[in-house]
Amino acid sequence: MFDISSFLISWFPLFGIYAVLSLCLNLEVGYAGMANFGLVAFYGIGAFVAGYTSITIFLTFYGYNYPIYSPEAIIAMGRVAGKTPWLNISVFILSLILAFLIAGLAGYLVSYPTLRVGPAFLGITILSFGEMLRVFMKHFAPTGGAYGMLGIPHPFAWIPDPAIKNTSFLILTLAILIGVLIYFELLVNSPYGRVLKSIREDETASLCIGKPVPQIKARLLFVASGISGVAGALYAFYLGAITPDMFITAVTFEVWSMVILGGRGNNFGALLGASVFSLLNRATSILNFLFSDLPIDPNYFRWMITGALIVIILMYKPKGIIAEKPIKTEAWKIFGAYGETKKKLIDSILRIIDYLKSAIYWLIGRETGYGPDIKGSKRE
Amino acid sequence: MDPILKVQNVSKRFGGVEALKDVSLEVKRGSVTGLIGPNGSGKSTLFNVITGFYKPDFGSVYFDGKRIDGLNPDEVYNMGIARTFQTPRLFGPLTTLENMMLSPKGQRGESLLRAPLRKTWLNEEMQIANEVKSLLKGFDMDGLYKMLASDLSGGHVKMVETSKGILGRAKLILLDEPTAGVHYAVGKNLFEYINYLRKTYNLTFFIIEHRIDLLFDYVDYVYVLHMGRLLSEGTPEEVASDPKVIEAYIGGA
Repeated sequence: MFDISSFLISWFPLFGIYAVLSLCLNLEVGYAGMANFGLVAFYGIGAFVAGYTSITIFLTFYGYNYPIYSPEAIIAMGRVAGKTPWLNISVFILSLILAFLIAGLAGYLVSYPTLRVGPAFLGITILSFGEMLRVFMKHFAPTGGAYGMLGIPHPFAWIPDPAIKNTSFLILTLAILIGVLIYFELLVNSPYGRVLKSIREDETASLCIGKPVPQIKARLLFVASGISGVAGALYAFYLGAITPDMFITAVTFEVWSMVILGGRGNNFGALLGASVFSLLNRATSILNFLFSDLPIDPNYFRWMITGALIVIILMYKPKGIIAEKPIKTEAWKIFGAYGETKKKLIDSILRIIDYLKSAIYWLIGRETGYGPDIKGSKRE
Repeated sequence: MDPILKVQNVSKRFGGVEALKDVSLEVKRGSVTGLIGPNGSGKSTLFNVITGFYKPDFGSVYFDGKRIDGLNPDEVYNMGIARTFQTPRLFGPLTTLENMMLSPKGQRGESLLRAPLRKTWLNEEMQIANEVKSLLKGFDMDGLYKMLASDLSGGHVKMVETSKGILGRAKLILLDEPTAGVHYAVGKNLFEYINYLRKTYNLTFFIIEHRIDLLFDYVDYVYVLHMGRLLSEGTPEEVASDPKVIEAYIGGA
């Protein structure tokens, strides 16, 4: 019935992709304070670029002349997708790079006219850009219009065993996620991260201490949109088929809720938020699958649960589950606080050992004087 | 002494309001110069014109012999002019240390490409931190380095704002009402501190202030603005005895 490994295989890639997205959004919203309501646009651009590039290259390589959305092309893709491992891998890498560049460029260009005005303008401009792009793609024949693209070659299509194939993709996705996480952690725990936070707090004051705010924002949008594009490309390869209607505005707000839940201005918070909501996404689908005779589709509850979680978080932990912390350059060491923290750490470790000791004594019933009252453990 | 800042025939109009009308003034190098005037007389507008927030409709601004009107605020800061605002604008959720460390210009670690490469900026970062520490020690605040700026007291905020310019290697610091909202004694302290900074770091100060009693004890030269025009100028004694100034402040016919 319920197979844990196949559940993980279906959850982890989705988690990886959403985590990359929420890291990008967190960089824009949590650090630089740019209200990006159109994240899905760059995600979609990445997906379409990856799909179009990979199918076109495959068809050209094998000498087929069909348009990429025709049934003949889809059948042909099914035939040739697993034949040449090196082509699969190199097409995959090329697609990721193109997705990064094109989505990044789109982010840079779209935001350019709005960077000198307030954050609301940026948000609305990108929001409508995403929506316009989706409608446009629905009527754009070369990428299949509303039907989208099918038969995107999986990078590991040449592995016959589906379990190994999916596990390899899972590992690849998580590797990309870890790479992005390390990059972002290094990026924000630096003077650069400090500048981003200053822009979030007060753009004018940041300008007044010589930070070229519009330029910093434009470059940040290039990087963040580009990496969102990479996430989109991964999604296209993961599903193997994409349509414009997958990239509705709701996706953006799902990622927003991840960032709000986990904690703005904290990369690990974004990860936590992504894991919670992608798990919720999978869990409701699996409930639906396990109990096919439910009166109501559990997927409908997903958005209600999302909303309830947001309300609860905003009421009880408005900064998110993992709150923002000061950036970690080593400047504070100059002030000599390092020793203090170390002492505190040792202290708390000793206390935990004490608690454990008394718990063990209590369990084995030895007369120790500690008794079952663990709270009252005494250490001089 | 030669002027470090020269404002020539600057006019600025917002719709029907003439905020500045043909204002010309000079700030001498190494001086503490005051700028006073009733509310709405154009003092803050003048500061905004100097620091690049507004482009003047007419006239020009020279700093250190170079023309600076039309530059962006960040470029003006990089030329060597720091400013504060009427209401303090520290970055609230950042610590005092982080707030101070934002000020030095052209930090290597602030570029997108270098930021992930710790080795390229760590030395510079530590040097700046050292400088911040000695500066904070100067007014007994080094214990407050990890306090959030939003939790600092009003007096401390003013101190931090005033001294941030030194970290940015500013030559001229524009202060917009530094003693607004603080006690007389704290204000006096602040002016003593300004005097000390000027001597130690060879700075020039240009100060908007409503507390004329405080200001006049410390400034070398005063300009008076009224309705967007320069009403009077001179040493504090000259200005204080100028009947036009008295009338503008008390409000004549």
